[in-house]
Amino acid sequence: MELSTTIASFVRASNNIFRDMLDLNIHKGQAEAEGDSFISQGFTVMVGLTGGWEGWFFLDMSQETAIKMASLMVGEDYHSIEEEEVLLAGAEIANIISGNAITDINNIHSGLNIRLTPPSIFAGDNMSMFNVKLNACSVLLQSDIGNVKLNVVMKEAK
Amino acid sequence: MKGLRTDGTAIRVMAVDDSPITRKMIKKALEPEGFEIIGEAGNGRDAVELYNKVKPDVITMDVTMPIMDGLQAAQVIKKQNPAQKIVMLSAMSDNDIVAEARGWGIVHFCAKPFKPEEIVEKILRVISE
Repeated sequence: MELSTTIASFVRASNNIFRDMLDLNIHKGQAEAEGDSFISQGFTVMVGLTGGWEGWFFLDMSQETAIKMASLMVGEDYHSIEEEEVLLAGAEIANIISGNAITDINNIHSGLNIRLTPPSIFAGDNMSMFNVKLNACSVLLQSDIGNVKLNVVMKEAK
Repeated sequence: MKGLRTDGTAIRVMAVDDSPITRKMIKKALEPEGFEIIGEAGNGRDAVELYNKVKPDVITMDVTMPIMDGLQAAQVIKKQNPAQKIVMLSAMSDNDIVAEARGWGIVHFCAKPFKPEEIVEKILRVISE
């Protein structure tokens, strides 16, 4: 399993979802190894991956970007990260991106049968996200509503 | 008003998804077309319980949910009523999931993200069969 190849499915899914769901074009950067931690921009959604491969997918952005993303998704105005629907919208976008990406990966690698766990949401300043003993791969996507980081951590299940 | 039958009654839909936002978007897509959202559930276990109370015409069923997932819930409901119309509405639709759903007689999938017209058309198609 090559993480930099695997993350391509997440980038493709993000491209499609930003375009179809949010009417946003994104410009992607290079996939890069991230080590075992990264500093959150302020709003991070984590989706667990289980099955043939285990790990996590993180969708990370600023709180301002999360608010704008929720407004585009739901078609309503939001003004604070403390509004529940902002949190729920971010969680669902991460769920859809990871679901589309894992569908792609499962169909390429028959028998892997990776499944997702319901998303968890973290919001706050200067949060460090650690993946103990696991290395991650990241891609920073640039959009009109701000930068969005995709971070994928995976290993083959024993 | 695509959600109304020829006799003027609404097609009754039960929306099952652990995301309240997605349930809201389902309502926004269906209610303007005359569909009636007869009930909502946030996991498979609640969906099975609610199903027996509301007996909807169609169920939109997410796959990944806590407590009981959508495939398990669909299986329980199909055992109770093999004729129940179900549209799987999920971000996950790999070959294994599609095959498992087909095994329970569920052939209609609507992939997330969905456009309002897509979910309307899927429900009308499953109703017409």
